[in-house]
Amino acid sequence: MESEPNNTASGSGNPKEEATLKAPSKDPKTKDDKKDEDLSEEDLALKQQLELYVERAQDADLGLQKFALESMRQEIRTSTSSMTSVPKPLKFLRPHYGTLKSYYETMADSDLKKLLADILSVLALTMSAEGDRESLKYRLLGSEGDIGSWGHEYVRNLAGEIAQEYSKRVNEEATVDDLIELVEQIVAFHMKHNAEPEAVDLLMEVEYLDLLVKHVDKTNYKRTCLYLTSSARYLPGPDDVSVLDIAYTIYSKFEEFPSALQIALYLDNMQHVKQVFTSCPDLLRKKQFCYILARQGISFELDEEMCADDEDKEALQEIINNTKLSEGYLTLARDIEVMEPKSPEDIYKAHLLDGRASAGASVDSARQNLAATFVNAFVNAGFGQDKLMTVTSETSGGGSLGNWLFKNKEHGKASATASLGMIDLWDVDTGLAQLDKYFHSNDNHVTAGALLGVGIVNCGIKNDCDPALALLADYLDKEDSSIRIGAITGLGLAYAGTQNEQIRDKLTPILGDPKAPLDVIAFTSIALGLVYVGSCNEEVAQAIIFALMDRSESDLGEPLTRLLPLGLGLLYLGKQHSVEATAEVSKTFNEKIRKYCDMTLLSCAYAGTGNVLKVQHFLGQCAQHLEKGETFQGPAVLGIAMVAMAEELGLDMAIRSLEHLLQYGEQNIRKAVPLALGLLCISNPKVHVMDTLSRLSHDADTEVAMAAVISLGLIGAGTNNARIAGMLRNLSSYYYKEASLLFCVRIAQGFVHMGKGLLTLAPYHSERFLLSPTALAGLVVLLHACLDMKAIILGKYHYVLYFVVLAMQPRMLLTVDENLKPLAVPVRVGQAVDVVGQAGRPKTITGFQTHSTPVLLAAGDRAELATEKYIPLSPILEGFVILKENPDFREEA
Amino acid sequence: MPTVSVKWQKELYPAVEIDTTQSPYVFKCQLYDLTGVPPERQKIMVKGGILKDDSDWSKLGIKEGQKLMMVGTADEIVKAPEKGPVFMEDLPEEEQVVAVGHSAGLFNLGNTCYMNSTMQCLHSVPELKSALIEYPQSGRSNDLDQSSHLLTVATRDLFNELDKNVKPVAPMQFWMVLRKKYPQFGQLHNGSFMQQDAEECWTQILYTLSQALRSPSTSANLDTVKELFGIDLVSRVHCAESGEESMETETVYSLKCHISHEVNHLHEGLKHGLKSELEKASPSLGHSTVYLKDSRINGLPKYLTIQFVRFFWKRESNQKAKILRKVDYPLELDIFDLCSDDLRKKLEAPRQMLRDEDGRKAGLKLKQKNTSSVDSDVKMSDAEGPSTGSGESSKATLGEGVASDKNVQLTGVYDLVAVLTHKGRSADSGHYVAWVKQENGKWIQFDDDNPIPQREEDITKLSGGGDWHMAYICMYKARTIPM
Repeated sequence: MESEPNNTASGSGNPKEEATLKAPSKDPKTKDDKKDEDLSEEDLALKQQLELYVERAQDADLGLQKFALESMRQEIRTSTSSMTSVPKPLKFLRPHYGTLKSYYETMADSDLKKLLADILSVLALTMSAEGDRESLKYRLLGSEGDIGSWGHEYVRNLAGEIAQEYSKRVNEEATVDDLIELVEQIVAFHMKHNAEPEAVDLLMEVEYLDLLVKHVDKTNYKRTCLYLTSSARYLPGPDDVSVLDIAYTIYSKFEEFPSALQIALYLDNMQHVKQVFTSCPDLLRKKQFCYILARQGISFELDEEMCADDEDKEALQEIINNTKLSEGYLTLARDIEVMEPKSPEDIYKAHLLDGRASAGASVDSARQNLAATFVNAFVNAGFGQDKLMTVTSETSGGGSLGNWLFKNKEHGKASATASLGMIDLWDVDTGLAQLDKYFHSNDNHVTAGALLGVGIVNCGIKNDCDPALALLADYLDKEDSSIRIGAITGLGLAYAGTQNEQIRDKLTPILGDPKAPLDVIAFTSIALGLVYVGSCNEEVAQAIIFALMDRSESDLGEPLTRLLPLGLGLLYLGKQHSVEATAEVSKTFNEKIRKYCDMTLLSCAYAGTGNVLKVQHFLGQCAQHLEKGETFQGPAVLGIAMVAMAEELGLDMAIRSLEHLLQYGEQNIRKAVPLALGLLCISNPKVHVMDTLSRLSHDADTEVAMAAVISLGLIGAGTNNARIAGMLRNLSSYYYKEASLLFCVRIAQGFVHMGKGLLTLAPYHSERFLLSPTALAGLVVLLHACLDMKAIILGKYHYVLYFVVLAMQPRMLLTVDENLKPLAVPVRVGQAVDVVGQAGRPKTITGFQTHSTPVLLAAGDRAELATEKYIPLSPILEGFVILKENPDFREEA
Repeated sequence: MPTVSVKWQKELYPAVEIDTTQSPYVFKCQLYDLTGVPPERQKIMVKGGILKDDSDWSKLGIKEGQKLMMVGTADEIVKAPEKGPVFMEDLPEEEQVVAVGHSAGLFNLGNTCYMNSTMQCLHSVPELKSALIEYPQSGRSNDLDQSSHLLTVATRDLFNELDKNVKPVAPMQFWMVLRKKYPQFGQLHNGSFMQQDAEECWTQILYTLSQALRSPSTSANLDTVKELFGIDLVSRVHCAESGEESMETETVYSLKCHISHEVNHLHEGLKHGLKSELEKASPSLGHSTVYLKDSRINGLPKYLTIQFVRFFWKRESNQKAKILRKVDYPLELDIFDLCSDDLRKKLEAPRQMLRDEDGRKAGLKLKQKNTSSVDSDVKMSDAEGPSTGSGESSKATLGEGVASDKNVQLTGVYDLVAVLTHKGRSADSGHYVAWVKQENGKWIQFDDDNPIPQREEDITKLSGGGDWHMAYICMYKARTIPM
């Protein structure tokens, strides 16, 4: 904006002189023009002046011509800075646009002609008809002077015309060099004048974003990148990747490595991740990178290049391996004072129920005990202590209360043993020690549970010794199928996302084993899908495809068969087009499963992309009325949620569409809708969704009601939301006689109080930018299992509930000092504000409260440091953040 | 000889030497010394799995300073308890009843809620049940008509069914027999059975049972129903005009609680109900005149039935209209002041003992409160008298109750055990529901086929004054004292 004041200053000088010079020739004209009566004295003078210029510009005398044109230019320039209305000179020159245009054609090439072209280009801003792009035409014909001197509006208009012209020329395959030259000028102008969004928009239109890198500087790169990253969500196909690539380049250029790393992770580009590590020299910052990688839940091996020093490398690798997660989580728990274990009764709060006393049952109900086992596991997840499982084992001699484990029936014992893994979540050492004694049990279900527990406790944690693999591998070929499933599922959970080849070599043979029962094969497929999530691994895909083709007709009708295509889909999670080859193959499957497989693959492949076309495709599938027995609409409904969950706008639209499905859909659609809503708002209890689900939880159809109850738990997962807790409590009395529904209500209660309110299931993190593939995979498996609640969760495969462990993460901000020890600092926590495209330094949060770290962050919350004393090494304050002392900080007296 | 560090749980043992010439078992023994974990339970993670006792060290490629991880505990191996728990899901249905803690509901067969609720209330009287069990299937006494016999048998069978099932029972047989015996219940309106007055049903059934259960075998003319429900009244009939006075005695099966503008509480209503005016011919005056009848209770039943006279015949609308007035009733009713002087004398001694007992209990309670405040439910079932332990089967407690019958004394204090409520504006419409206290002290609302647990506090809220369920018939059980 610097050039502007100069212009006006010089401009205001000139016209006065001219006015005095030309005064005598003006007089006769005034009397002729009667229609301009309503103009003020001043305007009238200006008008006449301009008319005079127009006349003179067509004069034969070149000198006079030049003078007239220059004066005219001067007049225009001084006024175009205002944008609120059509500037007066332009308004008065409008009638003469045609005259000047025709005169221009008659002129011989000269500087003067260019000068006139410039003026015409500006006049075209208001005059030219839509689509003529005359402004651009004359701009290209005119002198190539400073584009900004004509003011902002002119540049903006020009940019618009360039975009149109560009697409036209590309269609005609004409050259665009002259346009690009102009673009360069415009971009430079925009970037200098805080109009980054306009610059980016223009460059996107002309597909020349590389230019941006040249023009960003220290002051505007952040805004530019913010605009780039947020617009990338709405871009189709390969464009979004190239946009993010540019953002990555810019961040790297300005050494904003954490942001660069985040984009690299978004693109799932390990090359970029490596680059970030190699280009950053600072060890402390590398540690922060490791925390970011750990949160994303991907496995990553550092090498010499990324960190030369062995000891440092080990320290960094340890952070990536998430070994300190348990410690940090417990720090948070101690700070919030929720270490005290809670029993299921503390969660049910039956005494708050109005009107109805609980019917005192003197006999244990296996189903209710199982529910209590799960509630206990979820609520005390990661705390290492509880009131059912760990207590009895510590009081020697079996405990007088009787061992809770054996208050569960058959396969319930598997879930009960595995719950130890959940209670000791992330604390591998303690967890394995706790589970050890159960390995030696002579009860197959207990052993199976112990194996699964090992997987749960190792979930998201990597260890050099690979205890999970070493412990579980021996059990993979056991006779008993529940033990096999325990070991297989355990491996899947422990090594999710690692693409560990040892596991693949061990598991793929099971898929081809003709003697293996269906449930073993189904869980093997899921485990492989988890380990190779989003990898597009051909071999694994082949193995699952063969397993699917080998199934007999009757197998294909089994509810568990749905896990096979799901395992296949997980391999392509979020990988969009890469799924196409496999999708083609799936068309050759047995007709019973073909459609189902197709939907599952598609929904997984486009999960988290926000692709509107795919959402429409799924909606189209749901609009069909089916012959009885087809089930593919369930995954299609889930697919809507999986695809649309990417960004807020699409999410809201999806919620509305689902509402329609609820009204017009048939039963197999209606029962999936609550689950889709649950996924869309996971750990984010939006009030209107809560109300919808609450309504559905009383639905006449039991399956719809069960799905709605579970979803109520999902949307409130880890929030302790009082309203949902109240709803569920009332549901527990409403359904006290219906064992299955009551079981669902209990599970939902466990979800809501998960980790005593310190956890979240949201797969999105880092201000909703990054999507953790393993977390999403875990949720999707659970939701697919919920599509046939009766057969799977209410049947003997209730341990699929433990798949949520993949998505469980502390919803905390824990600040650590340079030695990675917790450091309490004041932070402001408030509702995040969208600041994309806003000028200046807008506030990023609103309605904030100041707390001391560690703090809990709710969905949609953002934190900022409330002290200048430290500098955070990550721009996004979530999870573990390293603080560095601010060298410029001076304590105020 | 490489030295390695071994991580076990949270501890790290640095510098453990491996003798590569020996088998790994020796190494495990080394670790046994350090950790106390027996070698057979040690799981040591090495490349490619767990270290086996017979592995070859050279093939494992142990490096100097390598970190090994050992998993294993010396903890006792968990064993299943010898006797596994019994789960509700596995129980046969009749045993589930005990577990559920209440008996089954009754299906509504078309406006039969009046009958269902009546039967649920009567079903809660164990003595009646045991009397019915003894009732012979075939051998009916001569003075009993066939339909009464059948109704009694049906009642017995229905009670049996209720005890055996968790799922609601359809009282088809009973319903048919009842209609046969009392055709008025079979009235049709628009092709469906009409709603009836529950009080009428109650009275009729009790009447039939009293006929049937007059056991002919025993020499004493023992009428079970009368013994259980019969209230002896002694009335002084007084004529103000002539000054005549006479005494009458009678036995009724229920006390009436009259509801007028002054009545706010059951007690006041009962007093009203015991006073009546009747018009009859006076032998001395030679014309009919008004007599005042003032009754007092002379003999107490085990089960005191109280009917709230909520319905009266409204001539204008030709239907039984309902009085919605709120009349409070207590969970514990003392009718001492409604008794005759003779009875009062008899009651004095047991009442004193009861007071002493209560005092002792209160003292005990204080002590108990210090130790545990959880036992409030237990206390309640204690107060119920002879029935001990809610877990026992109903038959056991029942037998006990009968056996101890002889040597217990009534005290004039009664506890509420069942309430039959009506919701709606007239006796022949609306809905009847039974609220019955179970043997374990819990209240259950029997809304036809749907038993719903309720809290004791809410039972007294059925006292009327709105359109909610309001008490129509209350049944109190005598609090007795062993002598």
